[in-house]
Amino acid sequence: MISLRNVWIVAERDMRTFLRYKVLLIMRAIWFLAQIALFGLVVNKMLRPDVQDAVGGNYFHFYVAGIVITLLYSTAVFIGYDIFEEADHGVIEYLLSVPISRKELVLGRSIGGGLRSFIYVSPMMLFALYLIGISNPLQLLVAFASLFLFTFGVAGFSITLAVSIKSSDKFDILLGVVDALIVRLSTTLYPIAYMPDYYAALAKFNPLTFAADIFRWGAGIESALITSPWTAVLGIVLFFSMFTFLGIILHEKRIEGGGWQ
Amino acid sequence: MAPIIRTVNLTKKFGSLVAVDHLNLEIEEGEIFGFLGPNGAGKTTTLLMLITVIKPTEGTAYVGPYDVTREPDKARTLIGMAFQEPKLLWVSTPWDVLDWHAKVCGLSSEERRKRVRWALEELGLWNERHKSIHGFSGGMRKRVEIAKILIQRPKIAIVDEPTAQIDIVGKHRIWNMIRALRDEGSTIILATNELYEADVLSDRVAIIHKGKLLVCDAPKKLKDSILGGDVIEVVLEKEVPSKIVEELKAINRIVDVLAVKPNCLKIYLNQAEEVLPRITEFFMKVHMPVKSIQMSEPSLDDVFVHYTGLTIEEAQKR
Ligand SMILES: Nc1ncnc2c1ncn2[C@@H]1O[C@H](COP(=O)(O)OP(=O)(O)OP(=O)(O)O)[C@@H](O)[C@H]1O
Ligand SMILES: [Mg+2]
Repeated sequence: MISLRNVWIVAERDMRTFLRYKVLLIMRAIWFLAQIALFGLVVNKMLRPDVQDAVGGNYFHFYVAGIVITLLYSTAVFIGYDIFEEADHGVIEYLLSVPISRKELVLGRSIGGGLRSFIYVSPMMLFALYLIGISNPLQLLVAFASLFLFTFGVAGFSITLAVSIKSSDKFDILLGVVDALIVRLSTTLYPIAYMPDYYAALAKFNPLTFAADIFRWGAGIESALITSPWTAVLGIVLFFSMFTFLGIILHEKRIEGGGWQ
Repeated sequence: MAPIIRTVNLTKKFGSLVAVDHLNLEIEEGEIFGFLGPNGAGKTTTLLMLITVIKPTEGTAYVGPYDVTREPDKARTLIGMAFQEPKLLWVSTPWDVLDWHAKVCGLSSEERRKRVRWALEELGLWNERHKSIHGFSGGMRKRVEIAKILIQRPKIAIVDEPTAQIDIVGKHRIWNMIRALRDEGSTIILATNELYEADVLSDRVAIIHKGKLLVCDAPKKLKDSILGGDVIEVVLEKEVPSKIVEELKAINRIVDVLAVKPNCLKIYLNQAEEVLPRITEFFMKVHMPVKSIQMSEPSLDDVFVHYTGLTIEEAQKR
């Protein structure tokens, strides 16, 4: 039995913790604006009409939607760093000692880690929608709900990685590599039509592709979709379930017994 | 009545190191149970297994009716722990830490406010409640850690060296709070290196060494159990050769002689009044001027020394 109250207590704690990273939060917002106002606009001007067509008519819109997703990903992944900060101060052991179940703990952290990134990125998401325009509110709602799950999945993924690696240096390096690959091997920044086949094959199964697709579909950039929106929703749900589940299993197996560096 | 905690061949290995070695303990409901042993004896490791933070390599423990290896989630609803090293994020504040702890332990918001305030005031942290722990001294951090359990009031409360780093006024205050917690119905497990603390607080104490249980009984009984009802401490002008120690041991009614320091002997004996003149005579005869002689009752220190075979100094050096 999972107590929702306990899950929420854990989630709320991680959301509060996030507010402490004031500098990071400001830097990320500046990064977002710079990507749109500088990179996005300039690249948009460079592109031929046939390229513009491949992304639904307007690369700038395509790009803005993609940048929102990368931001969502990079803030949701942050929970893994929190885990190492806590390991340094023994707080992991403390969290394992309080009267809640391991499932509630991991679920709460996935939700807290995801929700805080969703809330943080929300204003930027709205700004992106303001730039792109809204055509179908219902689709947008479905997109929001899916992205919501997407952030939990990313947080669960980060927790799983942190718990399996147990060393903050290795985690940092690995996450850098994962970040480089997962963003670049997805449709967040460029359309699948221009990828070599073997890149495209990987990009089709990338959760970031699903997330970018679903956000673009929600915003009405339909011709940029590589799959049906429902496939993307399904992909996100699978991604979320898998990493929440893995996070729980690994938490029970790996965290106990110490060995944090 | 069934014991509230029972360990059955509880064992923890870290690689080849056996930190806890087939430990069998029973703790009764409502008692303050002192848990003693030199540094590295395995106290903290044992306690972490009871609270299910680490898993036993072998054997198990029962917390109330729950087997910690089978039903850890249920076991944790009965037990709480104030850790030896404060487990706090440095950026958080005492108020945040304690309020969250109270919340996760299921206290209502009204009760939470009341208890958190009470604990902060009692432990002298009220004015610092919104300051970040980063700037706190070791003793202040320790106070925040101990406040957790005083707020939680679990059925079984583990306190791991609760007054290490705490000043003497704070020590007495915390001892009283631990007693009050017991009077309200909690069972207390007190791990400590301070034998005096164990003596004044505990109903029973267990001494472990290298992960193994050496003895377990009421402090009074343990003190009575070591041979020789009296203890004499002799400080000499110069170092005592081991030959002299052996000769001393041969004196009638002297049970044991321990060199606490090179020039300080602890003599365990019966009927000290009668033997004392003979001891002074002996030192005169062997030309070892005596600086001071002190008679005392055996303390837990002596029990500890007797059972671990280590002097307090050796135990602390390890
Ligand atoms: N996570 C760990 N990994 C490896 N060895 C460990 C770990 N935790 C404890 N040990 C070892 O287990 C032994 C018992 O340690 P423990 O902390 O239980 O001792 P203790 O009795 O609490 O000592 P102290 O009085 O210093 O607190 C020590 O030798 C210690 O080095
Ligand atoms: Mg210890």
